[in-house]
Amino acid sequence: MSSDFYKTSILPFAGIIIKLCRAYTNSQEDFDDYYQEVCLQIWRSKDNFREESKWSTWVYRISLNVCLTLLKKKKNNVQHFVSDSITVEETEDNFAFSNESLNLLYDAIRKLSEIDRAIIMLYLEEKSYKEIAEIIGTNPNNIGVRIKRIKIRLKKILDGKVN
Amino acid sequence: MEKSIENIWKDGFLESDALVAPKVNNLYNQKSIHIIDKFKRMFKINLIAIVAFSFAFLIVSFFVGIPITGIIFFITLSVLVIINKRLLSDLHKLDMGVSSYQYLKAFNQWIQKQVAINEKISRFLYPIIFLSMLLGFWFKDAEGIPLGERLVSEILFGFPDTYLIFGVPVIGIVIALVIIGLLALFGGRIYKWDLNLVYGSVFKKLKELMTDIESLRS
Repeated sequence: MSSDFYKTSILPFAGIIIKLCRAYTNSQEDFDDYYQEVCLQIWRSKDNFREESKWSTWVYRISLNVCLTLLKKKKNNVQHFVSDSITVEETEDNFAFSNESLNLLYDAIRKLSEIDRAIIMLYLEEKSYKEIAEIIGTNPNNIGVRIKRIKIRLKKILDGKVN
Repeated sequence: MEKSIENIWKDGFLESDALVAPKVNNLYNQKSIHIIDKFKRMFKINLIAIVAFSFAFLIVSFFVGIPITGIIFFITLSVLVIINKRLLSDLHKLDMGVSSYQYLKAFNQWIQKQVAINEKISRFLYPIIFLSMLLGFWFKDAEGIPLGERLVSEILFGFPDTYLIFGVPVIGIVIALVIIGLLALFGGRIYKWDLNLVYGSVFKKLKELMTDIESLRS
């Protein structure tokens, strides 16, 4: 991948990728791997972008699809799925954000099912129900109801009422 | 006042450390950890290994006097490679930029097709391999006469009442048919069992994701 493509086409949307990858990972190491993999797949799929949607929406789709179907590393079997030449430079020693409330919210989001995680992330990114439905590939009529349920569950998790 | 999740989200990302991207270097040369790429790699390695093995076995079979086994092996495994190479090209067509449902569905369909075809092939593959070995050793030269004929004459010497069909003891035919039947019956299951050991959790996760999205579509 050329660094130009990364700088011009991925880095401006890194926020979207970071937010999503955080929701599907529990450690800095996994997060780095997911982020890298999303960038790699965006680059590989770039020729399939047909401008039927915004680039940001397309990036969201790729990121989500990668996160949903990524093989998680097994601690005792790392070499099985992972390159032996990873060159990611870690920028943080700690996985957590400095904002405690955001950490708690992320922890709660990680307790949701994979699809619910995707829905609430898109909702928090202020995507419309129609856009959420298009990205996930579902019926927009059911998105509102599901979001309500997810918010109730998140509130319960944050209040310590459920695990 | 208690903050809503929307406000926690907005306020949280106002802080400077919240959206720090990891630096990525040499990404082009990274080995992908994605399941599709893993399948592609596994498929390619398997196909290369099958071609190399069947070719090497073909040559060796002529030297050890069982060319029939080598030829049947080579033809059968070549067909297996051609079919799986076609399956692999379908995997290259998967588009990640479509909706999650379309993407997961396409991936799931590819897996189902791949499993179904290889399951069917396994039902024939194991019996054919067994049969090829049987024929190879039957016609192997044993001091001027085929090994099978020599074996039959020794059996007849010990058990003169042995009933033969086309010069082969009936008991031998029955045993061979039973083994072939069992291999045909369990070949597909052996393949699925082997596949589930490696990818069972992936298949389960895919199924759960699909079910969850489908519940939203209804």
